[in-house]
Amino acid sequence: MSAKIDAIRQIARRLLADGAVDMVIGFKRGTLPMMNEPCFIRKAEEADRLVWDSHCGINLANYVTDRKERVAVVAKGCDSRNLVNHIIENKIKREKLVVIGVCCDGMLDKRLIAEKSREEAGAEVDAVEEANGQITVKAGALIWQAPREELLQDNCKRCRHRNPVLYDERVGEPVAEKTEDNYEDVKRIEAMSSDEKWAHFENMLSSCIRCYACRNACPLCYCPTCFVDESRPQWVGKSQDPIDIRTFHFLRAYHCAGRCTDCGSCERACPMGIPVRQFTRKLNKDCEELYGWQAGLSIDQRPALDTYSPNDPNDFIR
Amino acid sequence: MEHMGVEPGRLQFSWISSAESTKFVDVAKKVTEAVQALGPNTKFKKSK
Amino acid sequence: MKVIHISKTEWQDGLDKARPSYGLYGPMRQGQDDPVFRRLGPGEFPEMSFKNTKMSPKELVHPQSEPLFRYTLDPNDPDHDILKEVPKDTSPKAIIAVRPCDADAFLLVRRNFDTPVYKDPYWVNAYESLTKIGLACNRACSSTAFCTTAGSGPFSDAGVDVLLVDTDDAYLARVITEKGGRFLDACGFTTPATDGEARIASLREKAEATISSSVHTDKLREQQTIDLYDASFWEDVAFACINCGTCTYSCPTCWCFDIQDETRGKQGVRMRNWDSCMYPLFTLHGSGHNPRGTKVHRVRQRFMHKLKYYVDKYQDGIQCVGCGRCIRLCPVNIDIRNVCNMMNGYTACACAAS
Repeated sequence: MSAKIDAIRQIARRLLADGAVDMVIGFKRGTLPMMNEPCFIRKAEEADRLVWDSHCGINLANYVTDRKERVAVVAKGCDSRNLVNHIIENKIKREKLVVIGVCCDGMLDKRLIAEKSREEAGAEVDAVEEANGQITVKAGALIWQAPREELLQDNCKRCRHRNPVLYDERVGEPVAEKTEDNYEDVKRIEAMSSDEKWAHFENMLSSCIRCYACRNACPLCYCPTCFVDESRPQWVGKSQDPIDIRTFHFLRAYHCAGRCTDCGSCERACPMGIPVRQFTRKLNKDCEELYGWQAGLSIDQRPALDTYSPNDPNDFIR
Repeated sequence: MEHMGVEPGRLQFSWISSAESTKFVDVAKKVTEAVQALGPNTKFKKSK
Repeated sequence: MKVIHISKTEWQDGLDKARPSYGLYGPMRQGQDDPVFRRLGPGEFPEMSFKNTKMSPKELVHPQSEPLFRYTLDPNDPDHDILKEVPKDTSPKAIIAVRPCDADAFLLVRRNFDTPVYKDPYWVNAYESLTKIGLACNRACSSTAFCTTAGSGPFSDAGVDVLLVDTDDAYLARVITEKGGRFLDACGFTTPATDGEARIASLREKAEATISSSVHTDKLREQQTIDLYDASFWEDVAFACINCGTCTYSCPTCWCFDIQDETRGKQGVRMRNWDSCMYPLFTLHGSGHNPRGTKVHRVRQRFMHKLKYYVDKYQDGIQCVGCGRCIRLCPVNIDIRNVCNMMNGYTACACAAS
């Protein structure tokens, strides 16, 4: 990991010293275990603030939206796919963007590690260390270990694009990629009856506090005024009515259809631990099955819902 | 919509040109019949 | 002050005795996660071994969505176009095992809703129907708790009617108000504790020593508002913020709300919902202008309100009890302790030089 930090700092220092960019967006060390905070630096001498480890799950593409400066951004595989989205959707100009692509080993699931620590030690996580694919967690008086692969975020376990798809500078050596996502999580819900599906999502959303952390953590959600905030007309009620909450969640997912990179930011951000990816992953699966489409792999291809094809699999549109 | 528990058939999509009046009538009839067969919407409906 | 001894074997029987005269509320667990406050059904008892609830209990007095009025637009209805108040349940309620920080938070929020000039009837009536049975924290709930330097503390009894102290086999109940005394009477808890105050004092000392985290607030009042407002650190503080409302919704002292009419057909309801300074609609004017139009404005508003405007207006500390929820739940690790210390230690000239 420290080799990657050195490389990121070196690149950031060079880009700023050469005047190639106005700012570098990356992570700085957080104040809690398993947390790093997105940050920017404008001067080469600040490069040592930047860090990299297994707790950089926040998608930094969210921080370049509509920026006017020349920006360099540290990007994992998923972040780079969202940068591709941004370029396609004119949210940032390619020529103003320097992508510092980091070959990613997957990010650790902070919620899973906190839960396990609570179960096993009844304590908060004090520190998380890793060596040779093994994670060591210190929680109160207890130390517990587990293989790194088991503690990854669910989206990272399934990820097929850990290496950045678009980059100007590369950090780390490319890692081997998975070739398939079996979508067994989505299939499990597809196999339910309508009533079971309804009950499943009702239960899942019952703890939602409607803070919109899922929406705001997502680089795709950049509308100047979100449909839930519109008041003329008011598309959706603003109270804690379960139907309004559900409407928000499924429309949020629809707005991400054909654009979602399954970066997991929404789920990571949710303060209540709701697995909101269950909505977006259904649409990702549909996009892949119907159109062979995965979002954000190339700046030269138009997104699935942005094109018309006479071979469209849906008969209503032909 | 079906994935989150709305009954199949309650939501339908069609592509009808403004010149296809007969198609519009046919689709409207078909949709009405399908929804009538399903009965009132009980799930996706605000209670208050 | 009177201290009552409640052995744990008589605890549940006592609560049962109070049920006919009090609606009981308490922390209930759902799965592995931290418990949440809710109404206790028959035969349900509050979880007593928890650190703190995930969300604060402010919702019991100031619900996230609260219907205020109903109306009908149907001209055939004799009451058409008249706002009819929604009846409220103001019967006595007891909230069991509220943590001292959260109970203190009610006092801070009260300054906004219950003043000599304005009394918010919804908040005041709900608040007054509540008897708060606090549960002292024998040790820090989290490394993020900084209650002792935020005007509260693990044994603070300023906001409760009774403070329970867990001594393993029993609770020592310190009676703070008459309201609290009445609740203990209803439970039939009357045995005076021997050495009650001394034992509480010793446990308190131990508990306070476990609070490892702190903030500095001593210079906030003497800081010039305009200097802090224009301080150079806000862009840096706000950068990571995604403007979700997690910090304000989880905060026991955030009180902002928004009033909305929702009409369906001819029936409508006027409700008040929590608002958040993090949201683009917060303080949006009818003209379309918003004085807090950007992320930096909004983040600054949150911290300036809690740590400067409130401090100046009420001259009784910060609008924060140090529960640490916003720190634990923030998805991007914005830490109020750092911001508070930055504001407290800020010097305008040193900053201009850097």
